Amino acid sequence: MGSVLTKTLREQRRALAWWAVGLVAACVLTTAFYPTISKNAASFQKLLDSLPEGLRKAFGENFASPAGYLQARLFSIFAPVLLLIYAIGAGSRAIAGEEERQSLDLLLSTPVRRRRVLLDKALAMITATVGLGAVLALAIVVTGPPFEISIGVANVVAAVAGCVLLALAFGGIALAVGAGTGRRSVAVGVTAGIAAGSYLIDILALSVNGLGWLQRLSPFFYYRDPESIIRGLDPIDAIVLGAIAVISVAIAVWAFERRDLSA
Amino acid sequence: MNPSVPALEVERLTKSYGRARGVVDLTFSVERGEVFGYLGPNGAGKTTTIRILLDFIRPTRGRASILGLDSRRDAIAIHRRVGYLPGEFGLYERLTAHEQLTYLSSLRGGDDERSIRELAERFDLDLDVRIASLSHGNKQKVGLIQAFVHRPDVLILDEPTQGLDPLMQQAFYRLLHEARERGGTVFLSSHVMPEVEHVCDRVGIIRDGRLAAVEDIDDLKGKALKLVEVRLATPAPSGTFDRVPGVREAVAFGDRVRITMAGPIDPLVKALASHEVLDLQSREPSLEEVFLTFYATGDDG
Repeated sequence: MGSVLTKTLREQRRALAWWAVGLVAACVLTTAFYPTISKNAASFQKLLDSLPEGLRKAFGENFASPAGYLQARLFSIFAPVLLLIYAIGAGSRAIAGEEERQSLDLLLSTPVRRRRVLLDKALAMITATVGLGAVLALAIVVTGPPFEISIGVANVVAAVAGCVLLALAFGGIALAVGAGTGRRSVAVGVTAGIAAGSYLIDILALSVNGLGWLQRLSPFFYYRDPESIIRGLDPIDAIVLGAIAVISVAIAVWAFERRDLSA
Repeated sequence: MNPSVPALEVERLTKSYGRARGVVDLTFSVERGEVFGYLGPNGAGKTTTIRILLDFIRPTRGRASILGLDSRRDAIAIHRRVGYLPGEFGLYERLTAHEQLTYLSSLRGGDDERSIRELAERFDLDLDVRIASLSHGNKQKVGLIQAFVHRPDVLILDEPTQGLDPLMQQAFYRLLHEARERGGTVFLSSHVMPEVEHVCDRVGIIRDGRLAAVEDIDDLKGKALKLVEVRLATPAPSGTFDRVPGVREAVAFGDRVRITMAGPIDPLVKALASHEVLDLQSREPSLEEVFLTFYATGDDG
């Protein structure tokens, strides 16, 4: 119970354990189907080839290889969405949650600065999201080989790291909106809206010519392209996603320090 | 630290919101060692004042300070020396009372385990129960304990006794007494007149965001009206009690007479002695009634 950081994580342990169980389950459900898919690789590839080019790019084009399969089934939507939901929830709760349940006054009546509380909450969100990412990576590395999926650990880590960074970018945005407004539902709503919107932009841009510039505004662009599980994590992409998270937290501090808190 | 600096001082303090419900041009100070009651109806601006003092909200104009420390610039130094009970607060439902209290006290950098145990015993609070299953009164105890636990120089308590049963109120009053013995200062908001009378040396009365008066509690008691209602066996002719010293108004209806009076009640009791009295009730006027009598402004009085 020493600090805001440890207390926030401690309070979350049960929820985090369930998230970990969910991630492992999602992972096993994915890897366990790979043998079926690879046996029928030819027909799946045909099905994939019949999709419009944009969708094909979104799901990954090399469906039959282990890496291509994981990219399509796990890393194109499933894993990032799960981590995103966690991070957006944690970011929204961080300040706005305390404020809405009226525990913020007591917390801030101690000699702890507002920015200290916020940074501890941000650190808790980062630690927990990275932890969940580690669970996911471990699950892939452990459950892959029995189902004919053997990918280098480095590639798995790269793909998961991309997921985690994407989640933290949106978690940071949720934290900033929550710290600025003091309202959790607003933080969740606005951030989920931005996430859905920027995903759509990224997907649309794949099939609509001339949207390339718009695509670069979407955090998903820096996650999806290139496919990290195959080619490794692109440092520029990682920096862009990390920067979104860091800048969001900085904005959160700025907004939180100067605002009237609701009683 | 310069002992001549007041424990608490606000100067032309104004907080405007778009709507009403702010405070306007408040100026008053509380001396060290004083128990100061901040009295006013709900929504008058008590909580707004307190939350400015603790830097949760920022004033539109004016300034506030505690022990000579500026509420904005030195907020952290103030927090170190203040114990605060919010009027409404939430606790962490998943923690036990003990975990909640150790959390807050560890953020103060102290190990107050003994103090926590001792206060819990005095308030008859089971520390191992989860907050979620505590009654409102027990949550209020947790709030009070965290305010007192680090023996602060200044206590700022927003409606401290709400939800406490009478026995626990007594325990609270004893704590206040001890805090003052140690030389502590107490700033206590309330909308309950008798409570303020019971514990405070001085009161500031706030209404509609403005300071209506700052008075010694004894002066205020002298001014306060009493309402006496008597039931007589035979109705008294009208005007019977009008000339009794201290009586402001006597209204008879049926066998009852409702008398409003100030000062000692003895003359009225003597006057009643010549009648057969079936029942007599006396009560303190509500705060609102005091306002109407003494602080009414021209337009709404």
